[in-house]
Amino acid sequence: MKKINLKGLDLVVYTETLSNGLDVIFVPFEKKSNYYISYATRFGSEITSFTPAGEKKSIKVPDGIAHFLEHKMFEQESGEDPFAYFSKSGTGANASTSYDNTQYICYGTKNFIDNLRYLIQYVNAPYYTDENVEKEKGIIAEELKMYADLPDVQLETKLRENVYHVHPRRVDIGGTVDEIYKITKEDLYLCYHNFYSPNNMFILVVGKFPMDEAMSVIHQELDTRENLEKAEITTIKEKKSVRKKEDCFVGNIQVPKIAVGLKVPIADLGTYDDLELDLYLTMFTTMLFGSSSLFRERARNEKLLNNFYSDWDNTEQYKTYMILSSTNHPESLVQEIKEELANHELDEAMFDRMKKVWIANEVKMADYIDSTVNNIFDDMIRYHKVIPNKVDIIRKMNIKTLEKIVSKIDFDNLSVVIMNAQEEVL
Amino acid sequence: MEYVKKDLGSYKLHMVKTNRFKTITVRVAFHSPVVKEEITLRNVLCDMFLQSSSKYPSKRDLTIEAQELYAADIQTHNSRFGNYNNLDIYLSVLHDRYTEEGNFKKALEFLNEIIFHPDVKAQKFSSEKLEIVKSTMRSNLSSLKEDGASYSLLRLFEVMDKGRVSSYRMVGYLEDLDKITPDALYQYYQKTIRSDMVDVFVIGDIDFKEMTKMIREVIPVKTVKRQKIPYLLSEVKPRSRKIYAREITNASQSKLAIGCRSYGLSSYERNYVLTLYNIIFGGSSDSKLFQEVREKNSLCYVINSVPNKLDHLILIRAGIDKENYSRTLELIDQILQDMRKGNFSEHDIDVAKEYFCTALDEMEDNPGRILDNYYMMELIGTDDLEEKRRKIMSVSKADIVKVAKKIKMDTVFLLEGDSHEEN
Repeated sequence: MKKINLKGLDLVVYTETLSNGLDVIFVPFEKKSNYYISYATRFGSEITSFTPAGEKKSIKVPDGIAHFLEHKMFEQESGEDPFAYFSKSGTGANASTSYDNTQYICYGTKNFIDNLRYLIQYVNAPYYTDENVEKEKGIIAEELKMYADLPDVQLETKLRENVYHVHPRRVDIGGTVDEIYKITKEDLYLCYHNFYSPNNMFILVVGKFPMDEAMSVIHQELDTRENLEKAEITTIKEKKSVRKKEDCFVGNIQVPKIAVGLKVPIADLGTYDDLELDLYLTMFTTMLFGSSSLFRERARNEKLLNNFYSDWDNTEQYKTYMILSSTNHPESLVQEIKEELANHELDEAMFDRMKKVWIANEVKMADYIDSTVNNIFDDMIRYHKVIPNKVDIIRKMNIKTLEKIVSKIDFDNLSVVIMNAQEEVL
Repeated sequence: MEYVKKDLGSYKLHMVKTNRFKTITVRVAFHSPVVKEEITLRNVLCDMFLQSSSKYPSKRDLTIEAQELYAADIQTHNSRFGNYNNLDIYLSVLHDRYTEEGNFKKALEFLNEIIFHPDVKAQKFSSEKLEIVKSTMRSNLSSLKEDGASYSLLRLFEVMDKGRVSSYRMVGYLEDLDKITPDALYQYYQKTIRSDMVDVFVIGDIDFKEMTKMIREVIPVKTVKRQKIPYLLSEVKPRSRKIYAREITNASQSKLAIGCRSYGLSSYERNYVLTLYNIIFGGSSDSKLFQEVREKNSLCYVINSVPNKLDHLILIRAGIDKENYSRTLELIDQILQDMRKGNFSEHDIDVAKEYFCTALDEMEDNPGRILDNYYMMELIGTDDLEEKRRKIMSVSKADIVKVAKKIKMDTVFLLEGDSHEEN
């Protein structure tokens, strides 16, 4: 295995790529009790149109299929429930689907080798029948309704619909009730065979575990697994502009909410390393809207904010900065945000302080198995590799580059959604 | 891991020395009996600690100082624990070997500033800051229904345990919020600092002697207090007839919240047998509730149960379609009966014991949870980790059936969604 020292973090990462393309990443922690295993595919909810391996025509599968497939992975031909298998040793298990990946995890302190083997085996053995596919629809429909009832989810969905013209990120990860009811076992097998191939997957193990034995289990279980020819994901033709600049609707809420999306075409920004670009963009919005920003202080003093949440939504061609906030003064808050973006000032002292904070946070995260998993997992999904020198990259960031990148952003390419409270019913 | 408890007269200092973490975590815990009229006031105080202080006039100034201390994490948190309300102030900061010599000491001084040097002039908190906190809290208190799952539980308690501490809304009350003035808040602050019981916890790669000296300097609490009432609530006999209550809300999913009462449990039953009972009944992803209601009958996505040990309650919750209300309720009742009849296997018990022991192992990777464990030992005399492992293994099937017979469904609350789904 290849050994990588994560500089400044007291962590060592070991990686190996099997002959079929599957990446293996180990991060041993001697002082901890736990282990955590993730078996992941780069297949998430945003892949719904593709040309299957060996075919000529592009097809569209129902929205929410990646998430549906994730639920159905837990169905085994033997009838054994994977949750029950893991729980025999007190091991926790779960799975999650995101826009760009699906992962199956287990975590615990005992029975490591058997659990690793079992995790690989059950994810490698799909078993879909008409009956078990039908049975899942009621459960997933309740899951979708649970999320759809949450006002914050309604607001974010509306914002996504207004930022993107055609991109699948317009649709919730779980899809819609109508769409999931269309899913058949054939659809599931098709997606499985096209996207659960070793060259589209990786295994990440973090914590206390025997590395040599783990590697030999992985060789035994996965060396002979073959790739299909690769499916071709249909290119998404998404326009640069936001689909709708302003929108408002009434929600089942007592205090109004706002959402703002700034859509940034990556091609506009110049040529940068993906990680660096992400760091600079995040630095920019942290300086403008982070917890120590002047904006937050001003908005707080004027009682414009009840809470504030923001993040970047990263797709292949676009980066969208999304803000969600609860506020008693939606119009004023939107105005403040617009002005802050348009008249931003980048203070070097703050820039340097944020670098210090980020480096300290990297060190802190390396203290926890779950944060380390998330950190390395995200890097594998976003950058397809383990980043050995993130602390150095942060340290070398400079404000000139930040200014240059920011100067290319069109701050008018904004979508604003206001969610108003219902009138009091007397 | 080495643990030391020192009685510093007006408070106890608990220290855990370990090299497992790069950070040092400090927790200052103020606790006093819950007074309904003071809940909102205490929540406001909890937020005010992080708004400003005498040296740092704004939240931004406080945030910047925390950042300068290599991203020191400082948080305040209010929660109920049986009859008591705990106000915790946490500080987590990287060990000096990852930052610079003296950084931890500065972080402790910062903690001292936040707790003991509030933004107070002429015996009044800053009214400007108070209004900011009140404004945010007012919005939150007006929006409780947005989260149907939490709201249904809150309403369940109010119906089930009316007048008891367990029915109080720990998020606070709008009508109390409006009454809070800068001087009333300062009086409450004084009362908290002077008469609350205090425990201080420190965990990290520390030197006991040096740490004791440092903590004495930064936590200058002086008065001596005694525990007034027990942590455990008094027991209530289960109702002979269940209460059924419902409320309509504009949502597509309905939230079912069920309260069961336990009666006459010994402390061994409460801490060990009940824990296993709950893991088998509804506390895990292969529990009876999950398997029957979700997996076999596709009635829901979320279903689980949680014991509130100090309140003698077991809560069951599920997100369902209102059409399936009676069917879900029947199934749950059936599973409660099955537990009483002993319709579960030795294998189920072994699995539950494994879960429990793994959870104890996992606790050791998290400084906050290690401290929680010592806190519980201090407050209610729970066993240490080794004793816990030993006692859980001795629980038998007969023990669990005996406990199952002491658990009765008491109140059923349905937050009924009345809208049709939109896609």
